[in-house]
Amino acid sequence: MSMNTAPNKPAKKTRGDILHEQMVLRGEIVENKEPVSHKKFIIVSAIIMLLLIAVVVVSFVRVDAIESAALQGLEAPEDAAYASIYMVGKVAGIVLGAGYLFYALIHVLAPKRRKPNRSFWGDLGIYLMLCVVAVAMAFPLVFSVASSLKPLDELFRFPPKVFPQHVTLDNFSDLFVTLSQSYVPFSRYLVNTVFITFIGTFGHVVIASMAAFVLAKYDFPGGKTFFSIVVTALMFSGYVTGIPNYVIMSKLNMIDTYWAVILPAFAAPIGLFLMKQFMEGLPDALIEAAHLDGAGELRIFWSIVLPNVKPAWLTIIIFSVQSLWNTNAATVIYSESKKTLVYALQQIQAGGVARTGQAAAVTVIVMLVPITIFILSQSNILETMASSGLKD
Amino acid sequence: MKTLTGKYIRMKREQLQYDWEKAKRMKVCYLFLLPYALLFFTFFILPICTSIYYSFTNYNILEPPKFVGMQNYINLVLQDEVFLTAVRNTLVIAVITGPVGYILSFLFAWFINELPRWLRTLAVVVFYAPSIAGNAFYIFSIIFRGDAYGYLNSFLLDMALIDAPKLWLTDPNYMLTVIVIVILWMSMGTGFLSFVAGLQGVDRSMYEAGYVDGIRNRWQELYYITLPSMKPMLLFGAVMSITSAFNVCDVPRALAGYPSTDYAARTIVTHLFDYGFSRFEMGYASAIATVLFLLMILCNKAIQSMLRKVGT
Repeated sequence: MSMNTAPNKPAKKTRGDILHEQMVLRGEIVENKEPVSHKKFIIVSAIIMLLLIAVVVVSFVRVDAIESAALQGLEAPEDAAYASIYMVGKVAGIVLGAGYLFYALIHVLAPKRRKPNRSFWGDLGIYLMLCVVAVAMAFPLVFSVASSLKPLDELFRFPPKVFPQHVTLDNFSDLFVTLSQSYVPFSRYLVNTVFITFIGTFGHVVIASMAAFVLAKYDFPGGKTFFSIVVTALMFSGYVTGIPNYVIMSKLNMIDTYWAVILPAFAAPIGLFLMKQFMEGLPDALIEAAHLDGAGELRIFWSIVLPNVKPAWLTIIIFSVQSLWNTNAATVIYSESKKTLVYALQQIQAGGVARTGQAAAVTVIVMLVPITIFILSQSNILETMASSGLKD
Repeated sequence: MKTLTGKYIRMKREQLQYDWEKAKRMKVCYLFLLPYALLFFTFFILPICTSIYYSFTNYNILEPPKFVGMQNYINLVLQDEVFLTAVRNTLVIAVITGPVGYILSFLFAWFINELPRWLRTLAVVVFYAPSIAGNAFYIFSIIFRGDAYGYLNSFLLDMALIDAPKLWLTDPNYMLTVIVIVILWMSMGTGFLSFVAGLQGVDRSMYEAGYVDGIRNRWQELYYITLPSMKPMLLFGAVMSITSAFNVCDVPRALAGYPSTDYAARTIVTHLFDYGFSRFEMGYASAIATVLFLLMILCNKAIQSMLRKVGT
């Protein structure tokens, strides 16, 4: 599988360009020759933004009026004028927002050369749907961030609001107070998790890439069978193997040690799988040349293969860190001083209504780490995933 | 007949001898494989084997396992009504979230494929984030809270669609639906990434050739060109979505409670947890694990043979 994730268009005409010109000549595609006026677009954008801001300001004024009335013990000014302004504002906001989205999409789509087999309305429909679904997907995450920034009274407010009115970091500072009062100091949990994550990931990368190297580049008896077993093992979740794993760990005297978490992580099938698929893309000539120059397997592995599969080991580092960071390891680790950070945080989260705000803060902290790592490394991950296919 | 068998045995022996010679020549390969193979055997193969063995015994960790034959399986099917509920729930969840999540992952990967690069990156992050966000699905317990403070209830009350708050997470009628929605929200995982990356790698000249050959719209292009060249990623994505569709455990435990009302949100894995880590009936729990494992392998085989037919 070739990895042209970022195709740079060469200056000369491709077959596609020639084809496109022919199609234009035959009248099968109508090319949009009119220059698009950005000026018009910007003016319309500005007007709509101003209107939207006006709507938001009006609705805030309304909320303030109600709140100040409530503070003075007065009845809220529930007159018809206010209500109608409010309703008009809501409807206008929705209509303007949707209309602007539509307009912007048309602006993005229209000037482009249409690809063959893509209709304008089809593209528009798909992009509109993408926008809606993306908002729906992002909503719970945005909502968790928003609730972690709410003061306690807003968390229990009725009717509930999605966005905080008075942004505060109290929940996070409360969380640190709770953590500092715990039986085992908070830093201990952090050290445990960092230790497990670091050692587990390091060993996993070394061991899995060694195995992946010989599986990808040498044809030896048993290699293919072994790999197909590993592929089947992609389906074993920690739950299915949990009970016998516990028994094995206790036979090995590793219950209640870090190794009960680290050693299985060394052998995670997904890392070997991705690494092997990626290494298959390396040219055989590279390895043969090194052989001719008299390099041994270890040397080839260390100084030729490893530097050339950087995206792959970044990817398996990230997958490994993600899974180890999120383990609570409650079934194999019992002493409080060896528990992981996520376990401690989940205990706080399970603290009931009194800790609603802290629970929201915990959710945000736990989710930010993997998402940030993914954003920083997504191009490497995608490059690796391009070779992730299963050949049967 | 005798000569034929003799011939076959001789052939096998020669093959073995050849392999052995080859293996001796390439022993360094085995050295490289050894550390991984050892750990993999100990923590992935051995557990499956012991799990199958324990499933035929009565084992509670304290006493040595006692062989009871098929008794665990017989009890599972004939005596344990909760297990049948669990199987039913797991199948309902798997049949809905597996295929739907899989198809949605592919469709969205395909839709965002033609976006400009920066927009595509943004879309990948937005769609992939829920599956790696740790236990962010806890937020759904606030959205679906049973009293009027719950966001969904308050919204529906506000719109006058319902006149009393619904117990989304404690009423057996709604539980599974809520869980399916949450799992679908989290279903754009590793398979989705694989699709996004694979679509970028499809040979562009194939589309041009397809146009010349008379492909007229995007759906034909999808079926005749894109899907066949994506087959390896589709197989990988299938394995990933089977894994996540059958191993549903955390979401029902966190949202519907453990145990849930009337066991309406019990899945095979939560049932396994119950027997394995609460009641310590390891033999029985191993039988549950074995059933789950067989279900997954069967499913994988069925999907592989289905995917082979795509686009041909």
